[in-house]
Amino acid sequence: MPHFSYKKLILLLVGMILLVALISFTLRDRQNATLPEQFIKDSVGLAQSIVAKPANYITGIFDDINSLLNTYEENQRLKMRLEDFAVLQAEVNTLKSENERLRELLERENSLRDYDPIRATVIARNPDQWEEKIIINKGSSHGIKPNMAVMTTKGLIGKISVVTPFTSEVELLYTNNPNYRVSAMVQSEKEVAFGLIEGYDEERNELILKRIDSSLEIKEGEKVVTSGLGGIFPKGILIGEITEVTTEDFGLTKMAYIKPSANFSMLEEVLIAKRSVTVIDGSDGDGTNADLTNNTGIPGEGEEE
Amino acid sequence: MGIRILIPFVAIVLFLLEPEFALFSPIDWNRETIYLVPRFLILYLIFIAIYYNRKRAVTYGLFFGLLYDVFYIDIIGLYTVLYPLVCFIAGWSVKYIHQHLSITTILSVVLVALMELVLYYFFFFINFTNMPFTNFLTNRLLPSIIANLLYLLMLGWAFKYLIDARVLQKLRELS
Repeated sequence: MPHFSYKKLILLLVGMILLVALISFTLRDRQNATLPEQFIKDSVGLAQSIVAKPANYITGIFDDINSLLNTYEENQRLKMRLEDFAVLQAEVNTLKSENERLRELLERENSLRDYDPIRATVIARNPDQWEEKIIINKGSSHGIKPNMAVMTTKGLIGKISVVTPFTSEVELLYTNNPNYRVSAMVQSEKEVAFGLIEGYDEERNELILKRIDSSLEIKEGEKVVTSGLGGIFPKGILIGEITEVTTEDFGLTKMAYIKPSANFSMLEEVLIAKRSVTVIDGSDGDGTNADLTNNTGIPGEGEEE
Repeated sequence: MGIRILIPFVAIVLFLLEPEFALFSPIDWNRETIYLVPRFLILYLIFIAIYYNRKRAVTYGLFFGLLYDVFYIDIIGLYTVLYPLVCFIAGWSVKYIHQHLSITTILSVVLVALMELVLYYFFFFINFTNMPFTNFLTNRLLPSIIANLLYLLMLGWAFKYLIDARVLQKLRELS
């Protein structure tokens, strides 16, 4: 039946064209979910959060067993720490009060450090893992907006990328998105070096901190925290530790590999940092995900230095 | 009656369980980062396509593929096409191969491996990943295939039992 197969062929071709159009359309605008998408996301998210509860409970049991096995060793270590802790606590208290006093003197009430934490539970992780993404159970109705910083108690893990009324997606730091930058600083003893976290090394599984002034001395083992200069993240969230320092391709600036302090597998509870100081929309604030690196019209992270 | 609801119910449960298992991944093992990608749902749908009804499997594939795309990937049209396509190929292969459980298991795993390969090339093409092919093979494809094979060895007989029960029930309804 040649007639019939022609019809099928045309149908197939039309289908292919529609498919390519749909894929390219959704690829372009991935930060803003349309209404039907939001509806699907919220309803799947609801079902997912129901399933996530027993699943979290079971993984919790495994964690408990694991920590029970290490109790003796951990106890020894903690006892040693405890002695230092009392001294440290006193020191922190004096520093805190001094800081407050100085701030009063300067009549500066809020700093880049201040943020309101919002607690959320991880309900799912993108199962195919081509993009590092997790989904949490708080959305715009809880005051979450795109680009907010997401962290665990150990450190920064990513930022909010898509928000629906009751769920939101977190793009983790391990991403190949060229527009995903975090402005960071290295806390060394003497001076502070600023840089940008841009991408990560897939083989070493570490983040890359670029554009550090080559005149500044940075060493392995130093801590890297967010600088708050990107206009989105609060200041002082721990990112990780430097493992290696090299020069960048053209030798003008330094580059460092950073081992993240947060554990990216087995994420359960996360904190979303809502910055108290006015948030400036970053280079991808309007969520177009387009290449804005050459565009000077938009105030972005790249223009702060 | 119960079995009739049970077939889509199992599909929904597997769909919701996939991301929970994904929370365990990636695993650091021997200084390598290993990704385990759970493919529970599509393996089950392949079983439905082979033992029960191709058309139904394709419909389920379309539905869950769309959900998968919207909820996790944000690129609509990827799994929406791949899931039904895999089910279609599985159903089509029934004519040519024997339907023994071991052969079905191997066939499903091969189909899933092919799907992973297509996905890898797609994400490579749109620059979402720059993982070299050899890395993909050793750190993603092989571990995922082994994990999914283990899952099928544990639950494959249960799927077959469930689907067979449904087929028998349908035959009884007809006679």
